Amino acid sequence: MIGRQLSRWTMAWFASALAFLVASLCAAVAGAGGPGHWSGGAALAVVHLFALGWLCQMMLGSLIQFTPVLCARPVAVPGLALPALLLTGGGTAMLAAGFLSLDGWAPGQGLLALAPVVLAVAFAMTGAMLAPTLVGTRGLGGAEGRMVALALVALGGLWATGAAMGWALGGYDLLPVALFEALPLHILLGAGGFLTLAAFGVSYKLFAMFLLAPEGNGALRQAVFGTASLALGLTLGLTGLALAGRGSIPLSLLAAFADAAAVALYLAEIRRLWRSRHRPKTEVNMRWSCAALGFLGLSAALLPPAILWGGRWAEAAAFAALAGWLSTLTLAQMVKIVSFLTWIQVFAPRIGRCPVPLVSDLVDARATGRWLGLWVAGAAGGTLALAAAQASGFQLAALAMLAAALGLVREAWAIRRLRHLDPARRPGRLPPLVLPAPPQGPDHDHTRSARA
Amino acid sequence: MADDPRTAVLAALRQVMDPEAGQDLVSMGLVYDVAVRDGRASVIMTTTTRGCPLSEMLRMGAEAAVLAVPGVTEADVALTWDPPWTPDRIEARAF
Repeated sequence: MIGRQLSRWTMAWFASALAFLVASLCAAVAGAGGPGHWSGGAALAVVHLFALGWLCQMMLGSLIQFTPVLCARPVAVPGLALPALLLTGGGTAMLAAGFLSLDGWAPGQGLLALAPVVLAVAFAMTGAMLAPTLVGTRGLGGAEGRMVALALVALGGLWATGAAMGWALGGYDLLPVALFEALPLHILLGAGGFLTLAAFGVSYKLFAMFLLAPEGNGALRQAVFGTASLALGLTLGLTGLALAGRGSIPLSLLAAFADAAAVALYLAEIRRLWRSRHRPKTEVNMRWSCAALGFLGLSAALLPPAILWGGRWAEAAAFAALAGWLSTLTLAQMVKIVSFLTWIQVFAPRIGRCPVPLVSDLVDARATGRWLGLWVAGAAGGTLALAAAQASGFQLAALAMLAAALGLVREAWAIRRLRHLDPARRPGRLPPLVLPAPPQGPDHDHTRSARA
Repeated sequence: MADDPRTAVLAALRQVMDPEAGQDLVSMGLVYDVAVRDGRASVIMTTTTRGCPLSEMLRMGAEAAVLAVPGVTEADVALTWDPPWTPDRIEARAF
């Protein structure tokens, strides 16, 4: 059956994540958070709308879609995709409301205690879908699957540090958590751990597919995995110390250097992939992914000073990672994935029977490139504004990123509605914008022709 | 059917595009073997990666295209990933 390995809820995961992205940027433009002001309730809410609502939801939705591609086997328990989505979105909203209660917003009281429980169930459901798919030679035997598995371990650490801090902030002293030591580890496990490691794993496969470059499990990929495992192991060890109320700067520095080394090795591997590509003219998603890779290098270089000196160094490093590296990569590849899945939904049954457009025909590459360029400019401006402690500059950067995000949302809508295709080439019925199409019987697929 | 049925089947497969790469199946080196005997066409093909979501769609598309060749009454298109596809199989003139 066509699309047997396709997740039916990917568009819904993406739509939910985009809604959180727009909401977080609107709040940032309005002044929630800014240089030196990240500890208030509104600022914490905005950070989590962005990091958890936008980035984590996009990554979880993408992993449910692409882990079967990495492992060449369907996802386990696909029926959990919708409840996991609803609980992730609901848990994020509850967490944001809980943070607002720190500023005196009464309706959010108590939610800091409840939100981690809801998110735990959501993450467990996602793990139940992905872990069985990853087990086996096609999963853990490959560099991509191993990296995604490592990312899921980091997700566990991310949740544990976040839950401990959330409960401590909410007045529930379940652990003697040292908030000052736990916060950088929480950021490291999220941005550098779960999100970056998952992006590494998925990009190995997708970059090779989009560039027509040879895949492999060579020495560089093994070195990336080994170094990333060391960095994650150190970070999780430090997390254990922090949750017990202790910290260790030398060990933190060691973890930061291991992280930076893993990034350097990964960038060398992607450079090898890029140079060995058989597709001479790259598409817009890959061109702008190069900007994301530049931000990855920048954030890794900022990591040791961020651990040592904190303050504006740490803010700039975290922003470069979240907005520059992870968001630019996600937005650029989102356009590609939306067009790819839309093509499959609309044109798959016609291939071999009549002329069909290419996936790239569904995208306005110039408009996409302009919006991604604006996003990158905003992310660079925001990083600089944080490093220079310029609040108004940060708000201006957030405004540019909001405009870019809205432009890319419009582009995603245009792709789903086939707006860039000549009307004569559009079918009469289009798939739903966000929700999955009703299940099709075997007649939807090609049937063997019984021509005379 | 054309004088050389195998050539006709290959020509039909050149009309089936890999929608992502923008090249046809033969130019992409995705067709491993073609045999035609007594109107029965057998094709062995692959995809660029084993977990490719387009795998079954491309197989069915190839099957439909082969069945449209005059003289072909039966088509059997099978997928294999042994040996796995590599970009070195792309025809030099493809891009």
